[in-house]
Amino acid sequence: MLAAVRSNILPLFFVLLFGLSFTTDAYAQYLINLMLVYVVVAQGLNLILGFAGMFAFAHGAFMAIGAYVSALLMNKFGVSYLVAMPAAGLAAALVGCSIGIPAIRVSGLYLAMVTMGFSEIVQWILRNWKPVTSGTDGISVASPVFFGVELSDDFQTFYIILAVCAVMTALAQFIIRSRLGRAFVAIRDSEIAAQSSGINVARTKVLAFAISAFYAGVGGSLFSLTQHYINPDNFNLYQTIMQFCMVIVGGASSLIGPFIGATILTWLPELLRNAQAFQEIGFGLLLIVFVIFVPKGLAGLLIDKGILPREEYSSRVRGKWVVRKERAEGSERT
Amino acid sequence: MTQILKLEGLMVRFGGLTAVNGVSLTIASGEIRGLIGPNGAGKTTLFNAISGLAPASAGSVHLDGLEITSKSAPQRAALGIRRTFQTVQLVQSFTVYENLLFGLHTRAGNPLTRLIVGSYATPDADADAIIDEVLDYLGMRDLKHRVVDTLTIAHQRYVEIGRALVARPKLLMLDEPTAGLSPAQIERLDDLIGRLSSDWKVSILLVEHVIPLVVKLCSRITVLDRGRVIAEGTGAEIGQDAAVQKAYLGERLDA
Amino acid sequence: MEIATLLSVGVSNGCLYGLVGLGLVLVYNAQGIPNFAHGELFMASAFAAYTANILFGLSYALSMLVAIVFAFALGVVVEFLAIRPIAMNRSLGRASTEVAIVLSTVGLMIAIKGLARIPWGDSVRKLPAAFSTETISVGGLVLSTQRLLIIVVAFVLTIAISLFFSKTSLGKKMRATSQNTAGAMLVGINTGHIYSATWGLAAICGGVAGILAAPLIFLYPDMGTRMLLKGFAAACLGGFGSVGGVFVGGLVMGIVEIFFGRYLATSMMDIFAPIIIIVVLLFRPQGLFGSRSAVRV
Ligand SMILES: Nc1ncnc2c1ncn2[C@@H]1O[C@H](COP(=O)(O)OP(=O)(O)OP(=O)(O)O)[C@@H](O)[C@H]1O
Ligand SMILES: [Mg+2]
Repeated sequence: MLAAVRSNILPLFFVLLFGLSFTTDAYAQYLINLMLVYVVVAQGLNLILGFAGMFAFAHGAFMAIGAYVSALLMNKFGVSYLVAMPAAGLAAALVGCSIGIPAIRVSGLYLAMVTMGFSEIVQWILRNWKPVTSGTDGISVASPVFFGVELSDDFQTFYIILAVCAVMTALAQFIIRSRLGRAFVAIRDSEIAAQSSGINVARTKVLAFAISAFYAGVGGSLFSLTQHYINPDNFNLYQTIMQFCMVIVGGASSLIGPFIGATILTWLPELLRNAQAFQEIGFGLLLIVFVIFVPKGLAGLLIDKGILPREEYSSRVRGKWVVRKERAEGSERT
Repeated sequence: MTQILKLEGLMVRFGGLTAVNGVSLTIASGEIRGLIGPNGAGKTTLFNAISGLAPASAGSVHLDGLEITSKSAPQRAALGIRRTFQTVQLVQSFTVYENLLFGLHTRAGNPLTRLIVGSYATPDADADAIIDEVLDYLGMRDLKHRVVDTLTIAHQRYVEIGRALVARPKLLMLDEPTAGLSPAQIERLDDLIGRLSSDWKVSILLVEHVIPLVVKLCSRITVLDRGRVIAEGTGAEIGQDAAVQKAYLGERLDA
Repeated sequence: MEIATLLSVGVSNGCLYGLVGLGLVLVYNAQGIPNFAHGELFMASAFAAYTANILFGLSYALSMLVAIVFAFALGVVVEFLAIRPIAMNRSLGRASTEVAIVLSTVGLMIAIKGLARIPWGDSVRKLPAAFSTETISVGGLVLSTQRLLIIVVAFVLTIAISLFFSKTSLGKKMRATSQNTAGAMLVGINTGHIYSATWGLAAICGGVAGILAAPLIFLYPDMGTRMLLKGFAAACLGGFGSVGGVFVGGLVMGIVEIFFGRYLATSMMDIFAPIIIIVVLLFRPQGLFGSRSAVRV
């Protein structure tokens, strides 16, 4: 029973949130929505930073692209949200590709600077391309309409956000258990071994960029739903750093990590009384403390302690637990 | 006997340093070729040039009659060149099974997923069969689901060999596989390498510091010094060779 | 004449960027990482000078000294608390260690910013200039004394640091460590001390820039990020290599930026640094002068 719970923690998490949504007040529901949005965004960052080991400093910018594309498509062209959201993801992925293709040529941590420069340029465009983005005034986001029903409050948009988050989680799990996911980890841990085993490193890195940006784009689109109004400040450096914090605190290169990280870091600012100074200090210190003392994050800690099962990197083996001693042979077929 | 590998005038330069300097070499199919030479002779760099990690400044590489000089490392891997590394290069957080899966990266998945995600499809069912076969051969079936960083260095070296074997390569290159092993472990590995070429129909290029081991395993040995081939022949011939003695003695005097 | 004035502003700005870039290069060469907290060292030192000068009423020169000591101490302390524990953790691979250190500098960046926000809030402040005479004129060219001070100090500091690396034993040890850490440890160099010294020196570079800039620009807790980008741009132009290269990189950055801002659009000034970073790293990673070194397999 307990083992079944621990092996299916993510589905249970979604069921729990669904149940909770009948009891929440408006503010709690808003925070739950925001948390799910951050789960999506953090999963995207985790794919590139945690799994593929590439230091991309641009996820606030990718998120901005998603948010603005979906909001502008709906506001200016009356496009349905069902189309606008995937379009937002694809737009971000496209930009991710076009920054990724040149950026992977730079070695190691120069990537961090190139991508940070890219974020600054996106910020600059958001602030200065006034006819489209309205500059620092920001733009308001129309409520999505599904089959004639307008989803105007957080209780209603919750269902969209929950569903998208679940789909994106399933996709992330599929990727990680596929060749692509293993290729991500392979290029992170040893590029030379990856190449000598037939992995095209450049292509894998560009894919990591594109997929990761896709998550950020979709997340940005969902984010615009929770905010009803977006401006460039939503997507500044602070946004990107908060996402780093989510991934590292939750557990880099873990599927569950982003859930833990997004949950903690969505509720923490509330405890820090929404004072910017204390949030910054809190997030900064959390990042430092985790990088030093808990480099695998909370998920890694729980897995190493045997509280959660080890996450598998193949689709044919399930539910193995971390075993630090000899183990009997045989794989469970699914 | 067909030639599996043919190098002609291969050069690798790093700035002003010529690490591999006009190496010509042929390896017959099924052969175990020893490659020895003092530290810094260019053995690893030659491996890198053959496997495509270090670009050749001049010269050519042929695999099984096909010119591959301009092919990338992953392309060469797909064509059947696999190798191990002087320092083990495994994904330490992966299990043995998962590490071997990534050796199968170039295998086609099922046609539909392959169409959508290219060569990144999930492994097909017989990947498991191949991996089990390799693990049985290496005597590591019981370690299949162990995370690699919990294994001994000896076992990690076996996993690296296994990762190469699952792809059924034409040429297997082993870069100092015995480094860091105990005498007993070396003996076991030595025995394995001796069987590999006939059991898996693979040619082997072996870099090794333990000379008696090379002499025992390899019918022919190539000696490299400062990027050049200074001798080639049987163990006995190499032992007599004045240039070889000078290279090794010189090294001892320097050290 | 306008061109000459622009040039003098560009050169003095460029000197500041060069100093900030120099601090980045020192840490990059020692530990292979871009220090994202470097802009905050700049900011914190500017505030330290402000505190000493305005709040404690110390003389300008004494305030500078206090702020420089403060910058050095801050550099050494953050290295000791937030960087060294990761660098010394041998269980991580080299690549993950570097990523972890960068993440730690990102944490520092935002934490220091938050700390500065508590006393200083979001309002902007200004420090009076070093000399009471506002401007001096050199052969018809009118230059503010503060800008002249910047140029002179940056020049002297850059040369002093060059000499430090080529002449002093600590400087030589620092160079040896950055070229071959394991080898340096083998010959008995205490790499911990070297890293402390590196971070302290880097912080002084950023700090001096902050102190010099304080009378010219407004002080506010977020001022570090923009400077960080400009410092990165200067370091990229200089190829992350020689001390002199960064200095020239900073000058190029400062001069080109001011002319772009003047003749294209003022808003262009903010985007100039990120563009330089991207273009240089993508197309000429060795910088304007250097040659690229091979990466070992
Ligand atoms: N990427 C590189 N850049 C510059 N020089 C290199 C590079 N790789 C190897 N070298 C140099 O090339 C020469 C040959 O090195 P290599 O590693 O191939 O020797 P080796 O025969 O494998 O030695 P060992 O027995 O120590 O493994 C050495 O002088 C080495 O310093
Ligand atoms: Mg070698």
